[in-house]
Amino acid sequence: MLSSCLMKQTCSSIIFRNFHISYQCLEIQKLTRLRVVDNSEIGKQAMAEGRPPRCIHVYNKTGVGRIGDKVLVAIKGEKKKAILVGLKQNQKPNVPKFDSNNIVLIEDDGSPLGTRIHVPIPTILRTILKEKTQTKGADYTKLLSIASRFV
Amino acid sequence: MLPVLTRNSITNVCKGLRRFSSALPKSDTEVSKLKTEKLKREILEFRHAYPEFLPDPKIEFRNKIREKLERNDMVARRTQVDIPEFYVGSILAVTSSDRHSGGKSNRFVGICIYRGGCGLRAEFILRNVIDHQGIEVLYQMYDPSLQKVEVLRLEKRLDDKLYYLRDALPEYSTFDPNMEAELMPEGAPVPVNPIKVKLKPRPWLERWERQNLQGVQDLELPEKFYIKAAQVATPWEKYDLMKEYMRTIPVEEQTEIFSEVQSKLQSLEIDRKKLKRKRVIVKPTKLA
Amino acid sequence: MATSLANIFHKCSVTSLENKFLTLSITCSVPQTRKKSMFPFPPPRLRNPTWFTKKNRSKSDEYLTPENREFVKEVVQDTYNKNLPLAQDITTNVEWTPKLQRTGVIARKIGIYPLWMKDGKKVATTLLQVLDNHVIHYYPPEEYQPVRKIRNRVYNKKGCLLIGAEEGDPTAFTKEYCGLFTESGVMPKKILSRFFVSPDATLPLGASINALHFQVGNYVDVRGKTIDRGFQGVMKRHGFKGMPASHGVTKTHRRGGCIGGGGEKGRVWPGTKMPGHMGNKFRVAKGLKIYRINTRYNVLWVSGQAIPGETNSIVYVYDTKLPLRAPTKPLPFPTYLQELDESMPEDVYDESVHVFSDPTIFFKGE
Repeated sequence: MLSSCLMKQTCSSIIFRNFHISYQCLEIQKLTRLRVVDNSEIGKQAMAEGRPPRCIHVYNKTGVGRIGDKVLVAIKGEKKKAILVGLKQNQKPNVPKFDSNNIVLIEDDGSPLGTRIHVPIPTILRTILKEKTQTKGADYTKLLSIASRFV
Repeated sequence: MLPVLTRNSITNVCKGLRRFSSALPKSDTEVSKLKTEKLKREILEFRHAYPEFLPDPKIEFRNKIREKLERNDMVARRTQVDIPEFYVGSILAVTSSDRHSGGKSNRFVGICIYRGGCGLRAEFILRNVIDHQGIEVLYQMYDPSLQKVEVLRLEKRLDDKLYYLRDALPEYSTFDPNMEAELMPEGAPVPVNPIKVKLKPRPWLERWERQNLQGVQDLELPEKFYIKAAQVATPWEKYDLMKEYMRTIPVEEQTEIFSEVQSKLQSLEIDRKKLKRKRVIVKPTKLA
Repeated sequence: MATSLANIFHKCSVTSLENKFLTLSITCSVPQTRKKSMFPFPPPRLRNPTWFTKKNRSKSDEYLTPENREFVKEVVQDTYNKNLPLAQDITTNVEWTPKLQRTGVIARKIGIYPLWMKDGKKVATTLLQVLDNHVIHYYPPEEYQPVRKIRNRVYNKKGCLLIGAEEGDPTAFTKEYCGLFTESGVMPKKILSRFFVSPDATLPLGASINALHFQVGNYVDVRGKTIDRGFQGVMKRHGFKGMPASHGVTKTHRRGGCIGGGGEKGRVWPGTKMPGHMGNKFRVAKGLKIYRINTRYNVLWVSGQAIPGETNSIVYVYDTKLPLRAPTKPLPFPTYLQELDESMPEDVYDESVHVFSDPTIFFKGE
């Protein structure tokens, strides 16, 4: 119920932008609008208000967000870190491609803000997040334990 | 790659031939001639179920030995995994081994919105809406990590590609992941689903009004969109014989290709039928 | 000039020297300036290899009767491909060592398709069909004269094997060209190529080479002629960025821009990237792994999809020169010396490759 209402919200926010988007525009870069898919308070409020967060930095060398990358988002006047858990752009074989650019908000130490993710997340994240986690740094694999479903 | 003759026209010709042959007193040579003709047509039917066996028609990429080796490899893979007949618009369930989830396998149910690629590069895209989230997965048909391909509902749609489902309302691409396979009577023609999809309002991923789509409801656009679409349309291309020739494999070559793999493919099909457990015919029910 | 000098000396009446100066003055009559040569040394003299002759005969209608045609065919069959050495008859008492250089082969690039590894990864491979290679001639190191004379002293001089591939119709070739093949007794070939070999790695005339000259898991270098793209601009030829489409840019959207500075360096430096002919040059793709060999059609599956040349073009395959990818196990020396029979498996796979007729891959959990 909640998620469907969120979905409508995002749809309506896009409708007013009345121009075509080409496939290049599907990639995530600075100022891309994203969709929060966990049940953190700040994320829920932002999506309900119809002001989805914006990516303001991508933590990789290309500046284009790929799956599992960490991004910095501007959400309700705050800066939060987040992980990309589903992308619109074309993916490799056997990796799912999503209809929206999904993020899960995290703390600096990698633990998620919310307690549940209400959309499926790709299984390739298991490998990617494990690789990104280092022994003394942030532990991103906590995100996997709050996922409700994998595809 | 589009077949020159449609399936219907062939069946009509077949019927006509049968009537013709029964009415006339026939000599042995005529009978054998008709038989070979019939066999040829049967072989040509393979191009609908196995389109990836036809090579890329681009002349600069063609080589007979490469194509033969490629076909042998495809048949070798098909002995290990059963890839049934399916079309764009059919609902499939694909089970594949997943390296990321610790030796478990992954099952995905969805509607096939695209099928393409020649030879070992053949691929298809499945689409479904799970938890109100549209998801698409591209599968390679000859990937050895593909464990099983099941056809849950065998049907065609009015278009060759269903990319417009991305811009359609979610109920048109929502399918129950626990859906059961619908069995069809033996030898029945593949049904065409005449459903017309309603699209969400603009903006879209593509300019659908320019693509002459059959399976889409009225787009409700202002007049200027249709005027522009008429300006950029190329209606003469379907009369361009040279273009048609360059993008298709001639019928003679198709028969040559399929008669080479026909016996192996048919024996595989028979094995599949033997292995199939006897199941009660389920009436097609609308799920989700 | 000669007369003026003579007048001066006549006035001085030094008659004894007069004659001497006269002779000198005659040598001086030639202008003393030297033409500047392009090379610091005399220009190299290029000498065509001995097998460069006119190849194709001009076609003339000879009005042969069908019987005569048959007769010509018979004669051709009787003349060529007789008493060629069989693979198992070739003997050598030299053991293979990494320093020995074996011959390469002539192959045809027949296309690209993927193979999957046992770990589920996909690899794009190029298929190279080894043609019917036969040894036409061997030039020992002392006999072989390179196209351009080598001035430095060469140690470990290599011999040169002339190898031909793809049988042609001898009546379509010139007499001189057919004459190249009389010594070996091989049917005249359409393609000829020379390969440098260590003198120990030479092969007898008429010996044939097949795909098993190479082994799966080893690495090869492939030399081919790149696709001819004609005269191209800098964007396509050198990957320049071009210039903006708008913001006041006129008529210079795809041009290279500046090609040099001024002042002391006020000229175009040699090697400046400019528009020109692109492609149709020999290039070598190095260090490609062999994943699979088909013994029936003599096909090598080689890693990569950027091997120079179009599909169906001729390429030359060598053992790799890269030191880190040198073979670890001994290679078939001087070539594969057994006859191919039914006992040989049709396909030989590298151990990392998933065979298509093997069962589906299941990944193991940790």
